[in-house]
Amino acid sequence: MSTVLQSLSTELADAVESAGRAVVAIHARRRIPASGVHWQPGVVVATNHTINRDENITLTLPDGTTAPASLAGRDPSTDLAVLKLAGQSLPVASLRRDAPPKIGELVIALGRPGPGLTASWGVVSRADGPWRTWQGAEIDSLLRLDLAIYDGFSGGPLIDAAGRVLGINTSALARGVPVTIPIATVERIVTELLERGNIRRAYLGIGTQPVRVPESLARKLELKSDLALLIVSLESGGPADRDGLLLGDVLLELDGTAVNDASDVLAKLGGDRVGKPLAARLIRGGQVKALQLTPGERPTSRAA
Amino acid sequence: MTASMTAGLAQEVAAAVDQLRQITVQVRTHRAATGAGILWNGGEPEGPGLVITNAHVVEGERATVELSDGTAARARLVARDLRRDLAALEFEPGRAVVGAVVRDSPPLRVGELVIALGHPGGLTGAATLGIIHRAESDREGRTPRWIRADVRLAPGFSGGPLADATGRLVGVNTMMQGGLALAIPAVAVEAWVRRSQTMAVS
Repeated sequence: MSTVLQSLSTELADAVESAGRAVVAIHARRRIPASGVHWQPGVVVATNHTINRDENITLTLPDGTTAPASLAGRDPSTDLAVLKLAGQSLPVASLRRDAPPKIGELVIALGRPGPGLTASWGVVSRADGPWRTWQGAEIDSLLRLDLAIYDGFSGGPLIDAAGRVLGINTSALARGVPVTIPIATVERIVTELLERGNIRRAYLGIGTQPVRVPESLARKLELKSDLALLIVSLESGGPADRDGLLLGDVLLELDGTAVNDASDVLAKLGGDRVGKPLAARLIRGGQVKALQLTPGERPTSRAA
Repeated sequence: MTASMTAGLAQEVAAAVDQLRQITVQVRTHRAATGAGILWNGGEPEGPGLVITNAHVVEGERATVELSDGTAARARLVARDLRRDLAALEFEPGRAVVGAVVRDSPPLRVGELVIALGHPGGLTGAATLGIIHRAESDREGRTPRWIRADVRLAPGFSGGPLADATGRLVGVNTMMQGGLALAIPAVAVEAWVRRSQTMAVS
């Protein structure tokens, strides 16, 4: 009788079942376990904020057995962590690389907060271009979800109606709003964490605040934009301090690009910029001044 | 999915909801709507009508049940179990009524579609669609205490049906906990009704 409804129901349950074979529970915090995805043979991807210890991490596999795992690396800025799992013949997640998720697409978030698999359904509510997390990491595309978050949501996969993985879910990157870290970002971070154990990011050691340059000064100095960044803190002995930047300097441009807020600075500080000088233009004492700033490597933080 | 399939899906959901409305009643006590109930006739269209609901929906010994066609009947409490949060009401339907069909098997799968009906905030016969959140049983062969569904319920859904994509009853919606709907498994309700009736006779 109601054939389409029944087959949709069966297909959703099939999708959950097949994708769930690569979803594990991760015991690395007190109380409720978090989820993880068996991403490539022996490599489990999880969320950084749900892993509160570096040692003594165990997994509950889909068949209910327990296995030890070791932490290969973590990146607080993307909220991803990578675990290694030895000697298990677990299926790996089937990834949907070819077609990005669309707004309104029916999706399921899977979790394993213990031996049993859990699911919640909803739709992709936003699908946009690259965005930057509050800790400065670039995420390849913004995926916001309209679905309910339950225990075990973070670290679990977002899957499509065919059971293919679209990314890793987290509730910690957007003030509790459920977002999915897309496959491209996960793969980039996994590769680097497996190679280096951390994510290399450039930094200058400055704190900034957006300011408006007075119109008369902007006209006198022939500025293109009257928005700039006031240096309000400077890490003592940090890269910018060593290169002669001073508190109270007003940063206009970095590497030829006008800087209007902190994200404009972060955009110039990818991992490949460590040790490579950036040309800076700034206002000091009412005059425009040029300075070379050489980013250092940001010390790895063990932020929770 | 093609456009015609989506249109078919929408029609089928509407048809399934219409069918479930036939077995969903509104329960009122002291003239206030307190929740929903499920027609439970065990395959016997004749004879007194039996309605299953939550114990917390029926405060006293008497209630009014209103069927989907708008006819109301006085009902009396024949069994109540506070621990299981179940109550059974008997009424004279005055006509043949169709009761719920319970799904005994197969076991529910995570991700399966479910439909809940109820009467939230004065609305009658409201429906909501969701999926099974967690597999039924932790221990094999045992009926779990709750069915957990990712479906948004409001007060007024209590005592109403949770059904699968074929319209068979899988649970009695009872409460929300941490954003999840908890329903008493229909098979457990079936066993409870059988025991309650034996007790009533003896």
